Amino acid sequence: MGKLKLPIRVWILVLFIIFALLAIKPTPYATGVQVKSFDVGGDAALAGLEKGDIVLSLNEQDIFTVTEFMTELAKLQIDEQEIIIKTDKEEYTYNVTKNVGFEVNENLTILSVDTAPMQIKETVESINGIEVSNLSDFKATVIKLLPKKIVKIDTNNGKIAFLTRGMPNIIVGEASKSNLKKGLDLEGGTRVLLKPIAEDQEVTEKDIGDIIQVLSNRLNVYGLTDVRIRSSVDWSGEAFILIEIAGVSKEEVKDLIAQQGKFEAKIGNNTVFVGGKEDIPFVCRDDGSCSGVRNCWDQSGQSYCKFEFVIHISPDAAEKHANVTDKLKIISAEDGRDILSEHIDFYLDDKLVDSLQIGADLKGSKTTAIAISGSGVGQDRNSAIQAAVDNMNKLQTVLITGSLPFDLEIAKLDSISPLLGSHFIKNSLLVGLVALLAVALVIFIRYRSWKVLIPMILTSLSELIIILGFAALIEWNLDMAAIAGIIAAIGTGVDDQIVILDEVISGSKERHINWKKRIKSAFFIIFAAYSTTVAAMIPLWNAGAGLIRGFAITIIVGVTIGVFLTRPAFAAIIERLFKE
Amino acid sequence: MLALFFLKMNIKETYMKNYKKLLIIPIIIFAISLIIIFQHYSSTGEIVDKDVTLKGGLTITIYSPIDIPDLKAQLKLEFPKGDIIVRRLTEFGSNEQIGLLIEAAEVEEEELKAVLEEKLNLELTKDNYSVEQVGSSLGNAFYKQMRTALILAFIFMAIVILITFRAWIPAFTIVFCAFADMVFVVAIMNLFGMRLSTTGIAALLMLIGYSIDTDIVITTKALKRKEEGNIVDRMTSGVKTGLTMTISTVVALTVGYFVSQSYVIKEMFLIIILGLIFDVIMTYLFNTGVLVWWTRRKAKY
Repeated sequence: MGKLKLPIRVWILVLFIIFALLAIKPTPYATGVQVKSFDVGGDAALAGLEKGDIVLSLNEQDIFTVTEFMTELAKLQIDEQEIIIKTDKEEYTYNVTKNVGFEVNENLTILSVDTAPMQIKETVESINGIEVSNLSDFKATVIKLLPKKIVKIDTNNGKIAFLTRGMPNIIVGEASKSNLKKGLDLEGGTRVLLKPIAEDQEVTEKDIGDIIQVLSNRLNVYGLTDVRIRSSVDWSGEAFILIEIAGVSKEEVKDLIAQQGKFEAKIGNNTVFVGGKEDIPFVCRDDGSCSGVRNCWDQSGQSYCKFEFVIHISPDAAEKHANVTDKLKIISAEDGRDILSEHIDFYLDDKLVDSLQIGADLKGSKTTAIAISGSGVGQDRNSAIQAAVDNMNKLQTVLITGSLPFDLEIAKLDSISPLLGSHFIKNSLLVGLVALLAVALVIFIRYRSWKVLIPMILTSLSELIIILGFAALIEWNLDMAAIAGIIAAIGTGVDDQIVILDEVISGSKERHINWKKRIKSAFFIIFAAYSTTVAAMIPLWNAGAGLIRGFAITIIVGVTIGVFLTRPAFAAIIERLFKE
Repeated sequence: MLALFFLKMNIKETYMKNYKKLLIIPIIIFAISLIIIFQHYSSTGEIVDKDVTLKGGLTITIYSPIDIPDLKAQLKLEFPKGDIIVRRLTEFGSNEQIGLLIEAAEVEEEELKAVLEEKLNLELTKDNYSVEQVGSSLGNAFYKQMRTALILAFIFMAIVILITFRAWIPAFTIVFCAFADMVFVVAIMNLFGMRLSTTGIAALLMLIGYSIDTDIVITTKALKRKEEGNIVDRMTSGVKTGLTMTISTVVALTVGYFVSQSYVIKEMFLIIILGLIFDVIMTYLFNTGVLVWWTRRKAKY
């Protein structure tokens, strides 16, 4: 029973270790496959799939690994098949997988073309020789040709099922083994440091708040969810915005982030409407009847595709449109149509993106629905279509979210491969292990006692656990800077333990001094060293746009935990072991 | 054991006889370091060469076992204006290459990426390719602010130490030792053509922390432990503690240096190891000497 009477300081340490372990929640044997992301607004999302769900089975097949999931998912992939479509103009033969690649209206007139070779305004007459006369005919034939399949997913949060055509875009990864969050360095993704360019004005805190609002809105509308945005001000008063987006490459988001996104529609010199909710209450997207890639053509070895989508403008903007167009003359276009004497020009960040003729019938009209168009270029048809879809998506995003109050300059742009992280974590653990063994060896050579060595290793390990527990609790992202900080903090801890050992157990001459005094004198040195470390780290808080803050914070947190928790407990244990 | 005992006595006696003369060794090394830095400054206008994280540019990591021996020369031909460094990343133990690290200034990322894809005959995707890009204005701002951070760190530490020991000369000596360690490391970096990065500056700050720990131990022994015997005995026990601290740190960092695959960690560890080795000279020849001289002079009055 006597052995259980540990000093209170040791109990406090044990309590903290338990708390830390609860916070980290290590589940090294966590198995299964966890949902990482899926299309926002897609079939799976509508059926109730949630990020973080553990997939137990897919279509009645038990799932244990990511590969199994991918294999099962790939079974839903539809084989490419040939399709023959006859329109009023021509007969087309092409390959389809997910869908027929065009949209029709109730009269079977083609409204938009995605991957199909026909032109809009043609009318569909038959599919694979089966005549279609109305929309329900058309739909029934298409479903027979490209049947929807049922997807059943059994997760730890219940069962879901939905119908889909083709392979649903669900990205999974291995189930996470603890609550520790990996920083971008270790996880892979894109990091952008932005600086608002304000020429004469001052950038206020509200401005920064507005920028962050618009940017996070944009990234969300674009379909990215794992986004971290924060701002920081450095010593010279320069404001920076740091954006970290996991799992995407910089090409995908660069335009979206760096663009001010100032959209203007002008007729002559008159601005009719600008981007943002105020002038544009509705933007059509993900709806083939009013948004899509309309037609493609080849020109001098390149492929071009045109996209078009409808927006609704506010009554005020419509009024403006009526006033401006009313003053224009009606002229004859090259193809003989009657058009107005000025074009409507669309500008994005002061760059002309498109210029369209205005039909004569729109003169003086308070029209609220306007078609916006643009194009995409590529080496071949498919890449041109993809480029047009991307451009359309970006333009729609900018129109919905409006423009930023300032132009932004990219001060730093990193794109980090996820491979780096997995390598680095394994290697860091190895480095930590050999470093600890090396320290243990030095300590053993010096003191020749297991009574010293074992408490020392245990103390260092408990320090590591508590620092990680703290990181899990405040959802701190562990990146390389933080790992370096942890190494430094634990290194300082070892130094302090040596001070305690030497003050308390060595030097027989000093036996006349009592224990309390010895520990007190050890802690005098420890506190002095602690204060200088913290003093040295504080100036790093704002230096370099706050990018090195993680390093400073980890060291400060680490040494604070050490000084107030682990070292008092270590001293108590050593006192207990050597007091005889 | 007896021989060891005499050796110890001998070191102690020799040291106590000659401690004033021994002060000259750290001072000479410090002076040479200053000269090296001054020479570098007068020829380049910089105290130390900066890498791309501090002057702006690209850091590219490619994960591939493909290695071309003269990749650097080939890149140099393609980008005559560019400032390009190529390093191999290898696995500890097997020495197998796991990737390449390329630092480049004055080169556009798209162009460099295209050339690398062609030379390595490898498609660079987001899975095998990382790039970190620092704008030059940001790099410069980084450098200036990190410099300010270093100066502020020194001022703050000086205040803390002065409050702790309430004596000018010992406090000043501690700060001077930390400063000399830093100067020494920067001089070594100049000699071997190493470049300073943001990581390097963080490492210098860590070095200061470790360096000061041992100085605090011996200063405490000299100033606050009069009851533990004479100055010689107190210093001896302080030196023993301090050396154990430094040796354990240096040994841990050295094995860590060889095992680590991360260039960032390697650079950080190397700077601290170099600094701590010189810190042994600074702490035990300079700081100890000053403390012995100072306590004896005070005792006379």
